[in-house]
Amino acid sequence: MISARLLRGAAGAAGLLAVGELYIRFVIGDDAIFPAPSAILYEAALLLIDPDFLAGLGTTLTNWALGMLIAIGIAVPLGVLLGALPPVERAIRPVLEFMRPIPSVAIIPLAILLIPVDELMKVSVIVYACMWPILINTLYGMHDVDPLAKESLRSFGFGPLAVLARVSLPSAAPFVATGVRIAAGIALILAVSAELLAGGTAGIGVYVVQASSGNRMDLMMAATFWAGIFGVLANLVLQSGERRLFHWHRVRTGAQES
Amino acid sequence: MTRKLRCNAVALGVAVALVLTGCGGSDNSANTSANSKGLEKTTIKVGALPIPDPVALYIANAKGFFKEEGLTVEPVTITGGAAALPQIESGALDISQTNYVSTFLAVSKGKKIKLVADSYQAGPNTFNIMVPKDSPIKTVADLKGKTIMVNNLNNIATLAVETQLKVAGLTKADVKFAEKPFPEMGAAVNSGQADAGWITEPFITATQSGLGFRKLVDTMTGQTENLPIAGWMATEEWAQKYPKTLAAFQRAIAKAQQLASTDRKEIEKMLPTYTKIDAKTASVITLGSYPSELNENRLQKVADLMLEYGYITSPIDVKSVIAAPSAG
Repeated sequence: MISARLLRGAAGAAGLLAVGELYIRFVIGDDAIFPAPSAILYEAALLLIDPDFLAGLGTTLTNWALGMLIAIGIAVPLGVLLGALPPVERAIRPVLEFMRPIPSVAIIPLAILLIPVDELMKVSVIVYACMWPILINTLYGMHDVDPLAKESLRSFGFGPLAVLARVSLPSAAPFVATGVRIAAGIALILAVSAELLAGGTAGIGVYVVQASSGNRMDLMMAATFWAGIFGVLANLVLQSGERRLFHWHRVRTGAQES
Repeated sequence: MTRKLRCNAVALGVAVALVLTGCGGSDNSANTSANSKGLEKTTIKVGALPIPDPVALYIANAKGFFKEEGLTVEPVTITGGAAALPQIESGALDISQTNYVSTFLAVSKGKKIKLVADSYQAGPNTFNIMVPKDSPIKTVADLKGKTIMVNNLNNIATLAVETQLKVAGLTKADVKFAEKPFPEMGAAVNSGQADAGWITEPFITATQSGLGFRKLVDTMTGQTENLPIAGWMATEEWAQKYPKTLAAFQRAIAKAQQLASTDRKEIEKMLPTYTKIDAKTASVITLGSYPSELNENRLQKVADLMLEYGYITSPIDVKSVIAAPSAG
């Protein structure tokens, strides 16, 4: 079933590329400023043997991973804590709801000004942006815990910590995982945006900045292509991890394996 | 209150990240360790755009001119002077490339910046107003009522264009300026979003050969002939704190500028290493010149032009903005 879905997805992407190729080659012709998909894919393949680009890819992905880990380390415990203590949550909730929709990219210029170490600045904006989806999903997960299960454990004499560990955390885990998956995409956007705005010694965004100053639209698109591929891969890996780990959750909520 | 909260959140992220990365400040203390030349700081981060202007930085690195001075220079790609200014202020960069108009604008707003070395001076046909091949615009006077695309409003681009408008008896009130980054400008002008574009290399060559654009006027003529374009800047505080490091940087850059100005091959060899301009393009693009000394008389011309065209309201004595190389 998954392979059929992949096949359809691949066919859609290939169709789009083919239409783009034909349109750029034959309708726009020589005046085309935007390179044809075949040219971009060719450059994208070459990038895999370009040490500059590989170093940049490494830097961006390191920032991405570091930012994700730190965000998970902050947001999950915070979400569990707030979820377990409803009065505190009610007090903080309005602030969270206000800060959450602020576009994270808008804090990059502020971060450039405040944080003197380049890598730290980039990781910090990723952490900031990723905290929200993870925190909010953890909170929802904590709310969704079956009250009957909690009561049953309590009536058997389990303390609040035991209830948290045996019922609330496992029950909230699928929500946390969804939050992490959403954050993974956001982290990639922030990782590249920070590089586009601030520059740096290496990174996918830095590579794009260099390519654009050198009038190399093909290289810009090729680097962007790999950023997109990484985003798709990260999403697929996290999604299949969720499927495997939380199979019971999907059964319980009746979600379809679509 | 919201701003404070946001700052707190950022500070929280910083604190956690600091702990996890094992304190990012540690490499600074390593820089100040003892060294043979007595430099206050031996490793510096220098911001530069991936364009031909700062080529001396990369020449000096490749030829070992910085090493001879006991200096390790890490070039950092910046995205523009506007972004680099907060980076030298925060300490993320020690020195950065800047364009002189941006620098003097910042100085007029009270920023404590020092120019530490010269980098790039305009030459003939390095900054042209370009029009599409079938454009009805034949002379600068034809620009009346038209839209001209520039990379930044209220900066070197509009200043250079204004000097040419003046020759044709026009002022900035007679035209409209629109903003667009250089890489997108050719396509934007070609598709009719503007009537003309103020374009520099390698985009002059690219729009000529790719889109058939034609040159309307070289904006670096008359008042702007040989106009100083770009140099290196540091904060006043940095220049005072690290005088020997600065002097070492200045000596190495001057040496590389000398080489760049006498041998174009050195530039062509270096461009593909730090920009995405390939060797073939590097050999055909028009380049300005690379002065080896920061000359206050030439720089004063920039500040005076800015005053004449209303970019600054009171005169700037350029001498006070220059951190002159110390003798020896």
